[in-house]
Amino acid sequence: MTADNRPMIEVSGVCKYFGSFQALDDISFSVRDGEKVVIIGPSGSGKSTILRSINRLETIDRGKIIVDGMDVSNPKVDICKVREEVGMVFQSFNLFPHKTVLENLTLAQIVVRKRDRQEAEKIAMELLHKVGIAEKAAAYPAKLSGGQQQRVAIARSLAMNPKAILFDEPTSALDPEMIGEVLDVMKTLAREGMTMVVVTHEMGFAREVADRVIFMDHGRIVEEGTPEHFFTNPTHERAKLFLSQIL
Amino acid sequence: MTDNQSPHKAIEVGDGAAIPHKSDSGLFTAWRIAFFGAIALCLFLAFGRSDQYMAIFKFVPDGILVTFKVTLGSILLAIVVGLIAGLGRISTNRFINGLASLYVEVIRGIPLLVQLFYIYYALGRFVKIPDMVSAIIAMAVCYGAYMGEIFRAGIQSIPKGQMEAALSLGMSRGQAMRQVILPQAFKVVLPPIGNEFIALLKDSSLVSILAVSDLLRRGREYASETFSYFETYTVIALIYLVMTLFFSKLIGIMEERLNDGR
Repeated sequence: MTADNRPMIEVSGVCKYFGSFQALDDISFSVRDGEKVVIIGPSGSGKSTILRSINRLETIDRGKIIVDGMDVSNPKVDICKVREEVGMVFQSFNLFPHKTVLENLTLAQIVVRKRDRQEAEKIAMELLHKVGIAEKAAAYPAKLSGGQQQRVAIARSLAMNPKAILFDEPTSALDPEMIGEVLDVMKTLAREGMTMVVVTHEMGFAREVADRVIFMDHGRIVEEGTPEHFFTNPTHERAKLFLSQIL
Repeated sequence: MTDNQSPHKAIEVGDGAAIPHKSDSGLFTAWRIAFFGAIALCLFLAFGRSDQYMAIFKFVPDGILVTFKVTLGSILLAIVVGLIAGLGRISTNRFINGLASLYVEVIRGIPLLVQLFYIYYALGRFVKIPDMVSAIIAMAVCYGAYMGEIFRAGIQSIPKGQMEAALSLGMSRGQAMRQVILPQAFKVVLPPIGNEFIALLKDSSLVSILAVSDLLRRGREYASETFSYFETYTVIALIYLVMTLFFSKLIGIMEERLNDGR
């Protein structure tokens, strides 16, 4: 693999158990710099678990995960360093309710990136403009709609200048009319070349944005390929069934 | 719209002093009858026919001040002890967790009065400190255990996603706790801490057995000189009642403000 094409995220042979239940079974895939990978599958298939393993919100029982050259699966590696470089956007937004929108964006810049307040606020305002909610900078998250909150959450993640962002079902908690505004922001990021791993049920988004689609079921990767291949001519019965149910 | 945006989960800890509920409004609430009734009775007794009560009212104010000092000192120290105990109880470090749990279990299993005697005389064996200070330390050690449970419950009432979001931005656990979890938890624990304050105000009367001249002890001193036990303890009880009702109302108002704030 060439230097330009080095994998940003490399997952190999990952297994994870919750008690006796095997949540992940020998998962391997890699994400190159600038690549957009969409993980889909029925609920309980392990797609959120593998995503959360990438920044060690879940620990794995076997296998190896390398992110930007750092070994996430090694408990001695300072996970904070990895998390500084890999943003995460959650299904339930998880904005800090006791802080204003602006403070949500500046907090980690100041305490983690050690930027001074002025610089952090400048970066924050630019990002709020970018996601289209600069006018809400002084508001508290509770005053925002779900779509606005999720856009703030994306901006908060961007404020750390991450090398990649993990999206964990970012639109699943949203009312239907707000899904579009969040997906639009994500599409913009994709066009700008952000490395993205997205767990989602939005097939339209997967089709339009993904370089690669990974289909999971029962903790395994069942099918992996380009969106054209996956959506028009999937090889496996399980994938065909899944598509017939949701499309 | 999601439950992580509603930080005001009520947690029920403590022995439930009567903090008036917002729905208790109306001219003749139990609180009003008790509070204004007690004040009226005080005035009636003080300015009534006999001078006896006036003498008692003149004798005890020193004690009120001491009771306040002990209560305030104990609650502040108990909050510090409680925060440490609460953080210890949720620590992933087995040793710290075990130590904090042991502290809470032991303290909760021994009557407050016994602990007061014990800590007071144990401290007295090793260091020479003023009686009031050792009384405050003794109260804080016991109340710290209950306070620890309040902090533990308060921290655990903050949705898990908050910690995850903070961690995924690269914060350490300590930074996440200080910047994200504790500021939210403080809002949740304020009402139960108010409850503890009222309970402590009442329990502070126990320090009167430790040579601390609080309200109750002043009353005892007066009564044993004059033999007017009934009159003295009537006054003492009324003063405690007025103080307790006053502070529970104050805390109730603070709590409402807090909830209206945002």
